[in-house]
Amino acid sequence: MKALKLAFLGAALLGTMTGFSQTADEIANKHIDAIGGKDNWKKIKSVIMDGTMSFQGIDIAVTTTSVHNTGSRQDLNIMGQANYIIMTPTAGWMYMPVQGQTNVEPMTEEMVKKGADELDTQGALVDYKEKGHSLEYLGKEDVEGTECHKLKLTLKGGKVTTYFIDPSSFLLLKSTAKQEVNGQEMEMTTGYSNYQKLPEGISMPMTISVPLGPGMNADMVISKIQINKEVPATTFQPAK
Amino acid sequence: MKQLLLSICVCSISLVSFSQSNVNSATFGMLEARWLGPGTMSGRITAIEGVNKDGKTLYIGTAGGGIWKSTNAGASFKPIFDRYCQSIGALAIDQSKPTVVYAGTGESNMRNSVSIGNGLYKSTDAGDNWTKIGLDSTEHISKIVIDPSNSNIVYVAAPGPLWSDSEHRGLYKSTDGGKTWTKSLYISDKAGCADVSLDPNNPNIVYATTWEFRRLPYLFNSGGKGSGIFKSMDGGKTWKELTNGLPAKPFGRTALALAPSAPENLIAIVEAKDTKMYISKDGGESWKEQSATLNVVSRPFYFSTLVIDPKDPKRVYRPAFSFSYSDDGGYSFAEASGEGGWVHSDHHALWINPNNTNQLYLGTDGGVYISLDRGVTWIFVSNLPVGQFYHVAVDNREPYNIYGGLQDNGSWYAPSAKPNGVNNGDWTAIYGGDGFWTVPDPTDPNIAYAEYQGGNMARVDLRTLKSVSIKPQAAAADGKLRWNWNTPIHTGQKNPKNLYTGAQYLFKSTDQGRNWVRISPDLTTNDKKKQEQDNSGGLSADNTSAENHTTIFAIAESPLDENIIWVGTDDGNLQYTTDGGKTWTNVAANVAAAGLPAQTWVSSVEPSRFDKQVIYASFDNHMYGDHKTYLGKSSDMGKTWTLFKSEEFTGFAHKIKEDLVNKDLLFAGTEMGMFASVTGGREWFRMKNRIPEYALVRDIVIHPKTHDLILGTHGRGVIVVDDIRPMRELAGETSNKPVHIFALAPQPIRDGQFGNGGFPPTGGWSAGNPAGIPPIQYYLKDRIMSGDVKVEIFNDKGELIQSMPGSKRKGVNKVYWNQRMTPNKSAAGGTKMDRGGMVAPQVLPGTYTLKLTVGKEEYKQPIVLVHDVDNTTYSMEDRLAQHKVSMELYNMQKDLNGLIEEVNGEQKLLKESGEKIKSEKVKKLLKTYNQSLEEFRAGLLATKQTSIFADEEQLRERLTELYTTIAGNEARPSNLQLERLQSLQGELSAAKAKHAAISKQYADKVRQAMAKEGVTTPALKTTSVK
Repeated sequence: MKALKLAFLGAALLGTMTGFSQTADEIANKHIDAIGGKDNWKKIKSVIMDGTMSFQGIDIAVTTTSVHNTGSRQDLNIMGQANYIIMTPTAGWMYMPVQGQTNVEPMTEEMVKKGADELDTQGALVDYKEKGHSLEYLGKEDVEGTECHKLKLTLKGGKVTTYFIDPSSFLLLKSTAKQEVNGQEMEMTTGYSNYQKLPEGISMPMTISVPLGPGMNADMVISKIQINKEVPATTFQPAK
Repeated sequence: MKQLLLSICVCSISLVSFSQSNVNSATFGMLEARWLGPGTMSGRITAIEGVNKDGKTLYIGTAGGGIWKSTNAGASFKPIFDRYCQSIGALAIDQSKPTVVYAGTGESNMRNSVSIGNGLYKSTDAGDNWTKIGLDSTEHISKIVIDPSNSNIVYVAAPGPLWSDSEHRGLYKSTDGGKTWTKSLYISDKAGCADVSLDPNNPNIVYATTWEFRRLPYLFNSGGKGSGIFKSMDGGKTWKELTNGLPAKPFGRTALALAPSAPENLIAIVEAKDTKMYISKDGGESWKEQSATLNVVSRPFYFSTLVIDPKDPKRVYRPAFSFSYSDDGGYSFAEASGEGGWVHSDHHALWINPNNTNQLYLGTDGGVYISLDRGVTWIFVSNLPVGQFYHVAVDNREPYNIYGGLQDNGSWYAPSAKPNGVNNGDWTAIYGGDGFWTVPDPTDPNIAYAEYQGGNMARVDLRTLKSVSIKPQAAAADGKLRWNWNTPIHTGQKNPKNLYTGAQYLFKSTDQGRNWVRISPDLTTNDKKKQEQDNSGGLSADNTSAENHTTIFAIAESPLDENIIWVGTDDGNLQYTTDGGKTWTNVAANVAAAGLPAQTWVSSVEPSRFDKQVIYASFDNHMYGDHKTYLGKSSDMGKTWTLFKSEEFTGFAHKIKEDLVNKDLLFAGTEMGMFASVTGGREWFRMKNRIPEYALVRDIVIHPKTHDLILGTHGRGVIVVDDIRPMRELAGETSNKPVHIFALAPQPIRDGQFGNGGFPPTGGWSAGNPAGIPPIQYYLKDRIMSGDVKVEIFNDKGELIQSMPGSKRKGVNKVYWNQRMTPNKSAAGGTKMDRGGMVAPQVLPGTYTLKLTVGKEEYKQPIVLVHDVDNTTYSMEDRLAQHKVSMELYNMQKDLNGLIEEVNGEQKLLKESGEKIKSEKVKKLLKTYNQSLEEFRAGLLATKQTSIFADEEQLRERLTELYTTIAGNEARPSNLQLERLQSLQGELSAAKAKHAAISKQYADKVRQAMAKEGVTTPALKTTSVK
């Protein structure tokens, strides 16, 4: 009986110790493995995602086109109007008539500089050190009933994102990103769910949720993902 | 034998796990709390620190509401400490690296109601994440200073426990940024360190004040031989006491300040037999007494803030009862002007922006104020919802009102919901002083009962706010009445005409407090040695009724029998009567037999509404240094007791509450958290879901009609969890089901409960409203990691009405269906957004089917929608007329969108084909055709508008105006709207005909011409010709 108790105690201690020794890298690596592994992610040159954001029956079609380290473009079709945001390593443009913009506007230098880090289609956590980012383990925190691992990633350009990783599946459940833009601190929380494995061997969340207020989310449901499809260079050039 | 033991052990484990509830905070998922605030009366502010470099990043420490951060000089705030102890004693920012912030928990304004901390915390990322770095048992921390020349050196002044002896007091020092701590100055287990300052020019010079103090439940003492002023020249290794020119000991609490720009200049306000101010010009080696105004020297135990301007050694600030400032180094003081409005009394924190010393932030018992003129006038910061409620109550109006009394902020009430949300201006103050019980009369909607400290209660007419004192007076044989600081006022749970209050006796009135009958003997221990409040305060007399003792504190009439009344006292008695007060039985010994320490304060009593024999009670023993959570239940009229146990419990208990419907659902509020049990108290869990995890929950009410859970917190205002019915359902077996859709009551069809008045709130605290349309709620036992969740609504013909993505979180999920159809998909093009694409007609009353898809599984449940009978201006006939026209317009919009898309398609095809054509003649024909289409399209929707303020109006815009007006209004369409409908129908038909004519003119011709060019096209013809 004593032996049994000791064994339990030993196991408990071991558990605690393992818990503490789990470093940021270990968790990041387990997460990368859970979403298809580093090798598969490093093969991703481009991603085209089609999705729909729905709210009260109103659909907004969103297409995101990203080419690794080359450019990203988001097209949003809102109430019959085309809106887009383009970001490349050297320039960016916004055309958001939904916000009252009547012309294509270039992004500020600051926005371009900060956005450059986000042209990474291979996942910011993959080879993060080589990319100049830094990672910190912040312990555990409850996310909607799951005690998640909390990893803080500081991108080279300064943007800070905290990842909340499910301790059993090592999938990302939530991220919060903080950035100072035009003297304002912007915080963005995003939820991820419905992970699906793609033929390329990587897993991606097919639902992305953005909170609108207590107890309310706007969900984007991804309907199609195309990997490594040729993307014409004109995609990342503004045209009204 | 081992085998046998092992199998027994396994068996019992599996048995235990079988019977254990799997319900916890996560189970309640999106059942999230609403913070009502308000910000109009805020709460006690204990610390304010700003980032010197930017002058706009602020951290506000509060007495019971955690830490709030602003990055915009106070325009907005966010709470950043909601997972930790909410009582903040001190804050410090490492100004050389301002992302490093220290927070000491446990306020040090040692009043009777002060909370207790659990250590020191550090953040290295400007408050996003916190780590506890020690000093766990200090309970109270008054100041943290960082060596400006070496950020690794940190001093922490810890007065230490208020209610007991403790070795965990003194001045602590770390030389490694808080990793390890040594005690730099320790006097005794009775005297701690109250203040610390460093000489910025030579940080090895350290000044510290020590303080001997103690509270008992019935007495306060400030002062003793352990109090003094000390100086170290070697970074706290050795100390000498400063005495030259200071008064004879004993001292009480000393407030000490040095002038940062000339640090040999010091000022001290020394509590002594005769409390005075002292000025030193030689680093404390000698002191000169200086007479000062009453505000400067009064109540030293509570007012310990003294600040000298960072640049001007002559400018001295003394935030105390009111705000005093000096321009001559403390020789004379002036009072702040009232020009900018009243500044709440009782000041405890001041931050001066060192780069703009005109800019000051002041923390008071009623919130934060900003001055831009060196403290002469002040602007109130009205967006900090950190009010310290003692009790809350509700009435039966629709929407119901919430009533409550607050520490140093009187008694207030406000609606729980209101058009445009519940904002600061919706709160009405009805009575002054410190507010406690504020109780509406259940039988008279114009009357509420309120009080200030020491039982000074009144009947308030809510129409005029005129009040009449109803405090019972002592009869000849009664002796002096002893009123608790927080005297109970109780209205009958069975007979709402009964009004009760208690001194040492219980009083009852059946005529709104006009006349009273004493219905008990002295129910307390009447222990004379606990009744010497006249001697309270120590060196400075302080007898504000806060220490009144041997009094009644809790009263509850049984909801089942008005003759059963339970009474709890602050000195440990728990008594009941079953005959309306003729005879009384004390069950204190029975609770003690279950393990409750003697003389423990009875903080609440809750007779069950399901069984007369069942009684719940909460007990608070923190005034004897015991912080354990004591919650008990008796099922035999108090003969035997069970004290609830849980690993989850933190904090001494203020309140236990039984649900109104499910007897197994219990709630408990403590000084450090809100807890619930769905197993009748067998297991407990901490409630989170936007309730700060260590919230100081003083009171809990459940509304009988709306099923809202209303919390009175002592630092986060009123917190409401709207409609807890899912908690009741989950208290049974439901939580074991993988998926469960909660019962849906028939819903009236309406666009929410309120309009919004057209303008958003202009600042202050805005609490919003409960959801205007009841949510569809479902339970998921586990989070859905793969697979989708979808909610679809079908009509009785099985047609899909609307589809919505469903959330996937563990526990209760909420999806809001707006009771409308799916809007038509907007046609592409044009220069204006199609606003009509956001609108769909409201559905009609009837039975709909809710289909919930979770992965591959489907669950169905009917939803019954009914006409909104509460809207008397909108009859069912009106609804039918509105719906008919809405549907016509909806279909017209669909037709018009189709027409536009056809033109879009034709133009696209012409453009693509045109690129392959070589013949100039054919090219020209295509161009002419396209031009005709473009001219036509330009009449269908706005194509020229270049500014959002220039209103180009074409057919789509005209149709949209009528459609959104009719479909968006709960009103019968007007005569002119119906006429307009006809004219638009004509316009749409004409447009269709026009398109047909253009097609007829060009389509075949163009196709043939292109065919000759070798370009074949799909049918270039219109389908909209009817």
